[in-house]
Amino acid sequence: MKPILVVGGGPAGLAATHALANVGQPSILVEKMDRLGGAPIFSGYAKLVPSGRWAKEAIGGMVSRVEQDSLVTVKTNTKVSTFDGQPGNFTAKLSDGTSVECGSVILATGFSHFDSVNKPEWGFGLFPDVVTTTQVEQMISSGQGVRCPSDARKPKRVAILLCVGSRDRQIGREWCSKICCTVSANLAMEIREELPDCHVYIYYMDIRTFGHYETDYYWRSQEEFKVKYIKARIAEVTSDGKQVIVKGEDTLVKRPITIPFDLVVHAIGMDPNVDNMTLSAVFGVDLHKHGYIARKDTYGSMGATSRPGIFVAGAAIGPETIDDSIAQANAAAMSAFAVSRELTKEAAE
Amino acid sequence: MPIHEKSLIRPENLKVHDKLSIDGVDVSGHWSTFIETRVVPDYNEALEKEIAAFPGGDKIHRCFQCGSCTNACTINAIEPRFNPRYWIYLIRMGMEQELLRDKDIIWQCVSCHKCTNICPRSVEPEGVMKATALWLEEKGYTPESPSHVFDKEFSRQVFERGKIEDTEVLHSFLVKTKQPLLQDWLVAIMWGIAKRVPVKWGLKTALAQVFKPRTRSWKKARAAIEDYIYEEGEARKEKLSRSRAKQPHLEAAE
Repeated sequence: MKPILVVGGGPAGLAATHALANVGQPSILVEKMDRLGGAPIFSGYAKLVPSGRWAKEAIGGMVSRVEQDSLVTVKTNTKVSTFDGQPGNFTAKLSDGTSVECGSVILATGFSHFDSVNKPEWGFGLFPDVVTTTQVEQMISSGQGVRCPSDARKPKRVAILLCVGSRDRQIGREWCSKICCTVSANLAMEIREELPDCHVYIYYMDIRTFGHYETDYYWRSQEEFKVKYIKARIAEVTSDGKQVIVKGEDTLVKRPITIPFDLVVHAIGMDPNVDNMTLSAVFGVDLHKHGYIARKDTYGSMGATSRPGIFVAGAAIGPETIDDSIAQANAAAMSAFAVSRELTKEAAE
Repeated sequence: MPIHEKSLIRPENLKVHDKLSIDGVDVSGHWSTFIETRVVPDYNEALEKEIAAFPGGDKIHRCFQCGSCTNACTINAIEPRFNPRYWIYLIRMGMEQELLRDKDIIWQCVSCHKCTNICPRSVEPEGVMKATALWLEEKGYTPESPSHVFDKEFSRQVFERGKIEDTEVLHSFLVKTKQPLLQDWLVAIMWGIAKRVPVKWGLKTALAQVFKPRTRSWKKARAAIEDYIYEEGEARKEKLSRSRAKQPHLEAAE
């Protein structure tokens, strides 16, 4: 029985290999980094939305489950160099020199965090006290607590700017990154919990805390944690040498804003994986117009790409939550399993 | 309260009753919080289309009201009433009367294009400001701006002869905008030129004022330009009239 090749060891890849092992299907999990876990582990996320569980523990559990499974061969520090063949009979050459035969493939290659230096007007890289949501996650998950990087003081005023690297034609990021609103509300509550004297402001254009996040994050952050939401897209972040100064217009009251803050947080978006051009060339799959991996259709076979036998799941498709990535991975595993066992029926299109 | 209802609580729109009692309760004074049920009939639903018909205004529909343009605006920094984000909102809502309150400052845009560079939706607000200023002129809400007078005279000469006579442009501009011809700075420049320029060139310039030479074989180019201007004008007229025609209820109300 040929194994199924799963590329990427984040939540989607871990879920896919686990799902395959559950039905007795062997798989090979290829991960370019030296450990499994993907963005939640490598970027040091703190408590996850919506479970509230620490990323290390929640995703860590998924990692050890896969690592202990005899049906999963884990190859870290490995990439796929070349790829060839037909559904049911693919051959992948790996960067460690070995070659593997597989029946089908699941791409769970995830995303890249937006690099805030691409929005220079918002001060990231210019002022030490301008950070990203990822950095705040790390401050919390490391146990250090939320501090100003410049002098390690506890911030009294924090501004979170939404849509940094999302919904912005100027820098070619036209998509909504889907989770930053909720993550920001979650972080705002974490900050208020750790530093009750700290005022936390969220500057937004729209709030997209969809589904249950509306009550659990958007309203809870206001009602229980007194987080303040201001409708403004910030024009620029400057500094007087002591604090960072946020300038903008409160569009609801039509009044200009020039407010000093101790800490400014960029709610960074989800870019397509920086390796997607390579992945597209190696696996011969089409990319979405924004650079993610394109799905063939929405309702037919789950997670199908433009190339038969290759499937895709999670944030490789577009901005995605962890739980939806896991759900997509299970769906893609079902499709990939059927192909590798030659059970594929005509896709319902 | 929706943004546009703020007009209801402006001083001139507040209801004041010096002496009024309802059911024995004295309710004299400002009725600032009592806004009567009303129908607002003065929306011009075609306004967005009208502005979009002018050059530069065609991307106004992309706006999602983030306010980046206003934040970045050079003029807004010194004149808080200059608020492109707000005007785009009014135009898209069709609130012509509210927009007209600011008709005398909309032209102040200096085309620094900071808004164009920052706009996350590529609305190109600078173009919208120019389109709005043109719309105000065409509708007769504002007098023709001096720069527009200058542009017209400049292009008239170019269209006619393929070249301009500097002196004639300046002269016509000053006359049309009712400014004195002998301005200190102008006299100084003329003296400076008169002292330095060779006599031959001086004569040539003087002759050009009388005979007004054309660019060689300009006739064809002129015809083509005139055709283009005519087509553009007709296209805009058609767009404007179409946006009107689609709203019979407005015409009935007028």
